[in-house]
Amino acid sequence: MASSSSSGLTFKLHPLVIVNISDHYTRVKSQMNHSSSATTTNDDNNNGAQPRVYGCVIGIQRGRTVEIFNSFELLYDPSTHSLDRAFLEKKQELYKKVFPHFYILGWYSTGSDAQESDMHIHKALMDINESPVYVLLNPSINPAQKDLPVTIFESELHVIEGIPQLIFVRSSYTIETVEAERISVDHVAHLKPSDGGSAATQLAAHLTGIHSAIKMLNSRIRVLHHYLVAMQKGEIPCENSLLRQVSSLLRRLPAIESEKFQDDFLMVSLFSSFLNIFTIFYH
Amino acid sequence: MEIEQKQAPLIEQFVKQASTLNGPGPALVKLIVEATSHPSLFAFSEILSVPNLLQLQGTESSVYIDLLRLFAHGTWTDYKSNAAHLPQLVPDQAVKLKQLSVLTLAEMNKVLSYDQLLKELEVANVRELEDFLINECMYVGIVKGKLNQLRRCFEVQFAAGRDLRHGQLENMMQSLTNWLDTSDNILSVIQDKIKWAETMCEEDKKHKMEVKSHLQDVKKSVHSKVN
Repeated sequence: MASSSSSGLTFKLHPLVIVNISDHYTRVKSQMNHSSSATTTNDDNNNGAQPRVYGCVIGIQRGRTVEIFNSFELLYDPSTHSLDRAFLEKKQELYKKVFPHFYILGWYSTGSDAQESDMHIHKALMDINESPVYVLLNPSINPAQKDLPVTIFESELHVIEGIPQLIFVRSSYTIETVEAERISVDHVAHLKPSDGGSAATQLAAHLTGIHSAIKMLNSRIRVLHHYLVAMQKGEIPCENSLLRQVSSLLRRLPAIESEKFQDDFLMVSLFSSFLNIFTIFYH
Repeated sequence: MEIEQKQAPLIEQFVKQASTLNGPGPALVKLIVEATSHPSLFAFSEILSVPNLLQLQGTESSVYIDLLRLFAHGTWTDYKSNAAHLPQLVPDQAVKLKQLSVLTLAEMNKVLSYDQLLKELEVANVRELEDFLINECMYVGIVKGKLNQLRRCFEVQFAAGRDLRHGQLENMMQSLTNWLDTSDNILSVIQDKIKWAETMCEEDKKHKMEVKSHLQDVKKSVHSKVN
């Protein structure tokens, strides 16, 4: 059903959208688990373990570049197989007030692959945007998979068996981040190493970070040192402005010096060594 | 280092002016006075190295060369002790010399007590001293720091560099070498710690496996005894 796209549009996806979709899915799934354990009924089996959530993606389209910034949830009406239109329009109005440049670019859902019934929703959105995008998130976790389980589909008119039909085609996309998004993604990535490490590997990861930072500092100081040596030997003409800056830099060492700091420092290092011993001991 | 960027065009301008002016004379003297009273200029070694200026040495205006040297390397107390041999300072120059004295003091210590500053700068009271530090030093950008009124001290976080004296280059290189050695040490210590953490983890896992297998054996023996 899905082949490679040829429309030539470049897609840029922001991490916020991915986080929103996975958050929506997680919420629905955990509420489902919670309610089924509270009522102890078995009639949630039609959804199985994987509920489908639906929503809308918004962003900016400039020429051939489509940049998807944000998303919001929508209610799916199983009887009419369509999304709640009134709610969509209300939300669109509200978002327009805050982000006047954002347009509805398409919709999202979860699942392992695009299905026939999705085309119905897709066509319904075509009156808002003549070529909507369909963002699909695969919620099943595959630890061997290296790239994101997110696929972007476009609709193209293909002639199949003599009948022109709209089918979904996959498109490639890039991830585009704003500074704030980069910080939060970085934070989430550091919370737990991907292979579920123990305290020792977390400690090792932390120390490795510090190690590379100090190594970089070391190399920069070495450059300064070589420069000064060359200047002293006379190979380079004296540049007073640089010398002044180096002397002002060296005055910042040591960074903190007072007895009070020494005491605090020793106490902090004592505590942290205790904590280290305890964590390794109890693991 | 915005100070250096601000000073660079001024230094260029003064150096150009000094090289075009020929011979000793009131023009050079005027240049020196102008340079030392300029509110944004704190570096004088470039101007000092202009050969035309050295011609002033030995004439009756040689006091001005000494004045320029004082501004490059000296402090307010140096001026006070040598006031007889140096020309009178206009108020702008006095302020600048005091600013430069603060920079020199910041070279030695990071925490400057108010008493020390009051003495060095000959300021009457703490209020004036704080005004001087805030307006003339921090707003201009040559120092950055915190004023601690309770402890009556000024904690310097950043101080712009003054012109280098002769021995200073060696000292700087020594500090740099020490810094390099310390950071090399830290790097090796961290590497050892990483290895230690990994080996501890390995040993812990091994220990757990041993305990588990021992437990299995004991269970089996108890089971067979019961049966």
